[in-house]
Amino acid sequence: MSKSLNLVLLLAGLCVSAPAQAQDADAGQKIFKKCKACHAVGDGARNKVGPHLNGIFGRVAGGGADYKYSKAMVQAGDDGLIWDVDTLAAYLEKPKAYIKGTKMSFAGLRKDKDVANVTAYLQSFSMTSSKPEAEPSGSSQSSDEVVAVATTEPVSQLMRATHGQYHLGRIALPEEILAWDIDVRPDGMGLPDGRGNVARGGELYDEQCAVCHGAFGEGEGRWPVLAGGQGTLKDERPEKTIGSYWPYLSTVFDYVHRAMPFGNAQSLSNDDVYALTAYLLYLNDIVSDEEFELSKENFNAIRLPNEGNFVADSRPDELHYTAQIEPCMQDCKPQPAEVIMRARVLDVTPQGQEGETTGAIE
Amino acid sequence: MSEFKRNTSDPDTSRRGFLRGGALAVGGAVGGMAAALSARAMAGEPSELITQVQEWNQIPGDGVDAAPYGVPSEFEADVVRRSVPWLTADPISSVNFTPLHALDGIITPNGLCFERHHGGVAQIAPADHRLMIHGLVDNPLVFTMEDLQRFPRENRMYFLECAANSGMEWRGAQLNGCQFTHGMIHNVMYTGVPLKLLLQEAGVKPNAAWLLAEGADASAMTRSIPLEKALDDCLVAFKMNGEALRPEQGYPVRLVVPGWEGNMWIKWLRRIEIGDQPWHQREETSKYTDLLANGQARRFTWEMDVKSVITNPSPQAPIAHGRGHAVLSGLAWSGHGRVKRVDVSIDGGRNWQTAQLDPMRMPKSLRRFYHAFEWDGTELYLQSRAIDEFGHVQPTKTELRSARGENSIYHNNGIQTWQVRGSGEVENVEIS
Ligand code: HEC
Ligand code: HEC
Repeated sequence: MSKSLNLVLLLAGLCVSAPAQAQDADAGQKIFKKCKACHAVGDGARNKVGPHLNGIFGRVAGGGADYKYSKAMVQAGDDGLIWDVDTLAAYLEKPKAYIKGTKMSFAGLRKDKDVANVTAYLQSFSMTSSKPEAEPSGSSQSSDEVVAVATTEPVSQLMRATHGQYHLGRIALPEEILAWDIDVRPDGMGLPDGRGNVARGGELYDEQCAVCHGAFGEGEGRWPVLAGGQGTLKDERPEKTIGSYWPYLSTVFDYVHRAMPFGNAQSLSNDDVYALTAYLLYLNDIVSDEEFELSKENFNAIRLPNEGNFVADSRPDELHYTAQIEPCMQDCKPQPAEVIMRARVLDVTPQGQEGETTGAIE
Repeated sequence: MSEFKRNTSDPDTSRRGFLRGGALAVGGAVGGMAAALSARAMAGEPSELITQVQEWNQIPGDGVDAAPYGVPSEFEADVVRRSVPWLTADPISSVNFTPLHALDGIITPNGLCFERHHGGVAQIAPADHRLMIHGLVDNPLVFTMEDLQRFPRENRMYFLECAANSGMEWRGAQLNGCQFTHGMIHNVMYTGVPLKLLLQEAGVKPNAAWLLAEGADASAMTRSIPLEKALDDCLVAFKMNGEALRPEQGYPVRLVVPGWEGNMWIKWLRRIEIGDQPWHQREETSKYTDLLANGQARRFTWEMDVKSVITNPSPQAPIAHGRGHAVLSGLAWSGHGRVKRVDVSIDGGRNWQTAQLDPMRMPKSLRRFYHAFEWDGTELYLQSRAIDEFGHVQPTKTELRSARGENSIYHNNGIQTWQVRGSGEVENVEIS
């Protein structure tokens, strides 16, 4: 009876305190005895020898209110150290090694498991903490809102959510936008500073791209073809490449930067991408000078040959959609059906043998 | 048989329906043949399945928790996604197909939803995932998964079809099975936050017209989407069919762009940039543009047009029961809205009959149809033709080819033909 009641309470508790694993946190509570001499955590926790640890997750090192930290800890915070599972683990394992000059006189926890458990335990107070130092004064937010804002995201504590209707999420920082916003538009918006020439691009290409795309962009095996094919778009087998098909050079820069080389995406510097883009122009006979240098400045001057051949979606204007006639139900064809083509003739369905194909997916 | 009666919820009507249907089958000319067949079986040896006590009648099976997360019966081992290895250079950027021929109803089970990745399946802990909204907004924002789940949410059933579904069939019948010809589609109930609410939270500037959605996977998949669509019915979804998204479907969060090509439904959604122009990303220039016979190419062909396919019988699901009462079944859909009607033909489009539509009818969702007929064992050419609520009629492949040529790759919604031989075998064919 009482057992099942406990289970209910435990489950209810789990629902509110979200990701921290309950069991780890329980074990962590025992480990925390080793810290208790110097640290308090939980309701009404105050600073002792060490700062209280409510809301420690996501807090800047040395960021607790009304506590005098060592210079080293303050410096670590200024250098951008934020407490999370990894940084806490490193600090708790070897405090003095991780932050030289910290005044925490604690040898460190030797077992990884203890570290994990005690951090899980601390995390549970970060989830529910709404201690004053976790947010600027004067806020009228409910403690619920503080939870999500304050603990899941480091910087949020420095900022109050005043946006929108629900005040959910927090302001994206300029550095964060810069890190993710790598897209480039045909009008050049998003192009980073940088430059690179055909010759340099050729070196990079041979090292990092030719294995798959072929020495001349002709494509090894089934890997994509990057060059050639100009004038084939009306053929039975058109070859769609940067030179023959792509409308904008910005797409080349953008795509190589975000997705290539396949298997090691976003490893190329901006200069590398300019150089590779220049080389792809060269492979497609759009520039012919090996000294040609592509940069943010001259990028927009270059046009790809097929730009003018893209048109709006005109499916709605096709006769079979515009005709609007009642579909025929009876005697719609004069002759009985006759087979004019069979899938079996090709026999390219997986259970069968590999064979010649008449089209490929893109 | 009662499945063909409209009012199955009323036990009385459906029982009567069943009895009446049964009487018809026995009384009818061809139905008499079917009855004779089963009568012969009845007159033969008694079945040991019935007269003998079977192992499973006697010995208890597994108790609860044998599979804390349940899995299908071992007898369903064939019902799996399959790929066509020669289509792509590497499984990391490849596709597999939903086994449509083995499913009924309209819900695609999560483990059977076809996969298409460009940089493999990203494995992202929800605690490590962030969604950023920036660009032409009043406040650029970052959301955690917890933040997202505190917004008002909706449940909606939508199909997702890859624009290249049936793309291998542009130049003629090629793949033998509706799993391969039509299996780049699935239909799922999504739980998610209307994208509109997230955009409002950030505050969209008056000159905004487009957004760029980006994934967190190794392909950093991107697509430009007009703001109008984003504000209309897009969802930022974290559940499919009630449970968390599968990793291969974008766990922990994906974009849902109802009725529009699957490539736009960015998985592992991590960033939405608001702008005043489209970005012309690789997936909307090099790919997902439809090359026409005249060498021009259509771009931004977003809607998935009205389409249908007979899933049973089909090459992987031949008619095994011989002549007699037969049930044909299939799926119909339209990216414009609801499917209003489906016609079927068993003689290659000379004569058509309107199929029985299952009552579940949501816009931009699959709709199931059935058609019962008596098979006399002669060769059949099965076709289906869907019509949506806006009067779009599914075109023939000939009509599509004459309008577009054969190099479009994408948006092949032409009428499919299955040839049924006397043996019950089925083949993907094209007919005159
Ligand atoms: C003997 C006292 C003592 C013990 C025991 C101790 N600490 Fe500390 N702790 C401190 C002091 C003092 C500081 C401030 C360090 C500084 O400013 O360099 C500190 C700092 C910290 C900080 C950084 C706080 C902040 O706001 O940046 C964390 C986290 C921490 N301790 C966790 C723990 C945990 C967990 C344990 C037990 C496993 C523990 N400490 C044991 C004294 C102690
Ligand atoms: C391991 C093989 C491999 C390597 C190495 C590689 N790529 Fe790719 N590349 C691919 C694959 C696969 C695709 C198609 C990816 C997809 O669509 O999912 C591709 C696509 C491309 C495309 C777009 C082609 C089109 O028609 O849309 C360009 C451009 C490209 N790669 C450039 C490069 C450059 C530049 C490098 C060297 C820095 C490079 N690739 C290295 C495999 C490779």
